[in-house]
Amino acid sequence: MKSKIEGRHVIALEVEDKPGVLTRISALFSRRGFNVESLTVGHTHQPGVSRFTIVVVGAEAELEQVRKQTQKLINVLKTFHVLDQEEASDLELTQGGAKNVQHAVMRELALVKVHYDKESARQINHIVERFSARMLHWSGEDLVLEFSGTEAKVDAVFEELKQVTVLESVRTGKVAMSIETK
Amino acid sequence: MSQSPKGHKEVMTGAKALVTLLEDRGVEVIFGYPGGANLPIYDELRNSSIQHILVRHEQGSVHMAEGYAKVKGRPGVCLATSGPGVTNLVTGLADALLDSIPVVALTGQIPRGMIGTDAFQEVDAFNITMPVTKHNELVKKESELVKAVDAAFYIANSGRKGPVLLDLPKDLLDEPYPYDLSETCSLPGYNPTTKGNIGQIKKALKAIEKAERPLLLVGAGVESAGAMSEINALIRKLQIPVVRTLMATGVLSFDDPLYLGMIGTHGNGLANRLVNKEADLILIAGAKLSNRSLLRADLFGKDAKLIQLDIDPAEIGKTIEIDIPIVGDVKETLRDMLLRIEDKPIRVGVTPWIHGEHQKTKTMLPKADAAEVMEWVCQELSKIDLKMHVTTDVGRHQMWANHHMTNPKHLPLITSGGLGTMGFGLPAAIGAWFADPQSPVVNLTGDGSFMMNMQEFIVAVEHHVPLTVIVFNDFRLGMIKELQDSSYGKRHIAHDFNKEVDFPLLAKAMGGEGRLVVRREEIAEALFEAIHSRRPNLICFDLERIHLRSAINLAEKAS
Repeated sequence: MKSKIEGRHVIALEVEDKPGVLTRISALFSRRGFNVESLTVGHTHQPGVSRFTIVVVGAEAELEQVRKQTQKLINVLKTFHVLDQEEASDLELTQGGAKNVQHAVMRELALVKVHYDKESARQINHIVERFSARMLHWSGEDLVLEFSGTEAKVDAVFEELKQVTVLESVRTGKVAMSIETK
Repeated sequence: MSQSPKGHKEVMTGAKALVTLLEDRGVEVIFGYPGGANLPIYDELRNSSIQHILVRHEQGSVHMAEGYAKVKGRPGVCLATSGPGVTNLVTGLADALLDSIPVVALTGQIPRGMIGTDAFQEVDAFNITMPVTKHNELVKKESELVKAVDAAFYIANSGRKGPVLLDLPKDLLDEPYPYDLSETCSLPGYNPTTKGNIGQIKKALKAIEKAERPLLLVGAGVESAGAMSEINALIRKLQIPVVRTLMATGVLSFDDPLYLGMIGTHGNGLANRLVNKEADLILIAGAKLSNRSLLRADLFGKDAKLIQLDIDPAEIGKTIEIDIPIVGDVKETLRDMLLRIEDKPIRVGVTPWIHGEHQKTKTMLPKADAAEVMEWVCQELSKIDLKMHVTTDVGRHQMWANHHMTNPKHLPLITSGGLGTMGFGLPAAIGAWFADPQSPVVNLTGDGSFMMNMQEFIVAVEHHVPLTVIVFNDFRLGMIKELQDSSYGKRHIAHDFNKEVDFPLLAKAMGGEGRLVVRREEIAEALFEAIHSRRPNLICFDLERIHLRSAINLAEKAS
């Protein structure tokens, strides 16, 4: 019996780049009662093919139903239920049996604008170094930083950033790529 | 499919291209209603071989297309304008989606340059109809039109069938463009599985052989796949007892010893007991097992091995966990099963588990107010030994018809199961006649349902459709009263029609025949006369008066 307990799941989709495809997919998720936590979409190396990575909260039994319903959309080419490599060990017990579950590596990108002055310089330099941030823009007062990594790493970045003045920030949500596990 | 030479381009309007493509596909009839945005299509239909049937409300056009598709086995086509035209289609599209009926709906849209400006009769047809169609498209470029039409017919009538809508801007329909009518669609994301996995088939047969009390549950998918003869061959071969869903009338003759009734909320006690308790294996063929089919989802096949055969992978295990799933076209998979049995006969019928007690209880049904009148009418109707297409509406009469219409020449019933659309039956009957003009059509309906789409009766009169509408008049919404009786402590509201409608007079006002029946003795004669007249007819059976009079007659005879 598949788990009825609500959990976080990641679904990756390859779709034809057609008008309305985003609406079709998001409408399906909301109709089946899935809360979309993050959704990223972008082109792939194949012309006309886009890729979605969707993080949702819901019960696994219903997730498989929503994956199948999504696969039925005419413009959807492939669907995968992917498992974060880092979280895999915890979840494998419940999800190991499902056929369409694949292991994956996942990354998230964040852009953060911080106020940079003498007082905060040391702290910000420390964060930049510790999380291998890239400095994208410097206006004399504000500094735009780019972070990327696992969700846990980006979470840690935001924890550290509580010590400085953050003016603006944005996280992309996860993108996922399936991997072979031996 | 197209008869146009490959790669040949010819300048014509979008409307001309569309109508030519429809003709090439063998579309014979379109059910539609004109408006500003779809007039270019109408202008082309004037010179077309396609017959246009002017409905009286757009909802009627989809139900007619559904009735047509059910009988013809290929997509019915309906046509509406933008704005209210398309919003009036929504109920019918949802009906076709839930009952998996192939329909192609064409709608006019305001010119491309005005989309998004809240122009006159503009609605976002694409987003409104998205969740009620199998697929839909707003055709924005001339270069996409031919492929979109090809895709619409292909998607509607393949895999799990369903409605497809094309929204067509008026300027695209009006303007000339060099169209290549031989273009075909490419749908890389759409590959319905047709062939059932042979390993799963073997597994299923092994399980059936092992079972002591196997049962076959038939759903509407079997008829939709055109697999009635295959399922019958399997039933004979395995001597397996059969139950069915509401939508799968006509799989076996009701007096067949292997036929044991209908499951679900409105089913019979025996069939429900078999699936919930007695069977140790259930082979489910083409049934989606929705809440109305599962009287008790927690009990259904609890201790039985479950095999499910379905064209739609999303139906497998959706509501009930399945032991042996087989994804595939029902017809092809049943053929493969039969071939496999031919090859390697399986041991069956060693312990026939259906006995006399089962046979005795299979016709036992709950009793209800004045309902025996509906029973009498269905029984008399079943004696008319003509091939007919019979539709129902939604309510008590639908369930009575489902249990008491027994003549195989009248089955399968055409009924709205998934959406439960009141007002479905009359337009569906008219559509069915256009698909098979040799056979009379009958619509069994209630006073509530009839009043939802009664304007379409005029269409039957206009086209001389041999239609008999049978109104079971109980002067109320009978099923609502039943529910208020059973679930709301007999607290009644909004179920009584406080004004009596003279239905026969209404039929006459629209140019048909009308008759009121108040005596049991008249039932047979009234039905016989109406159906054999081959004219649009309405018979109103006054349930209360017939019920009362026959009770008085009985009492008089006794005294």
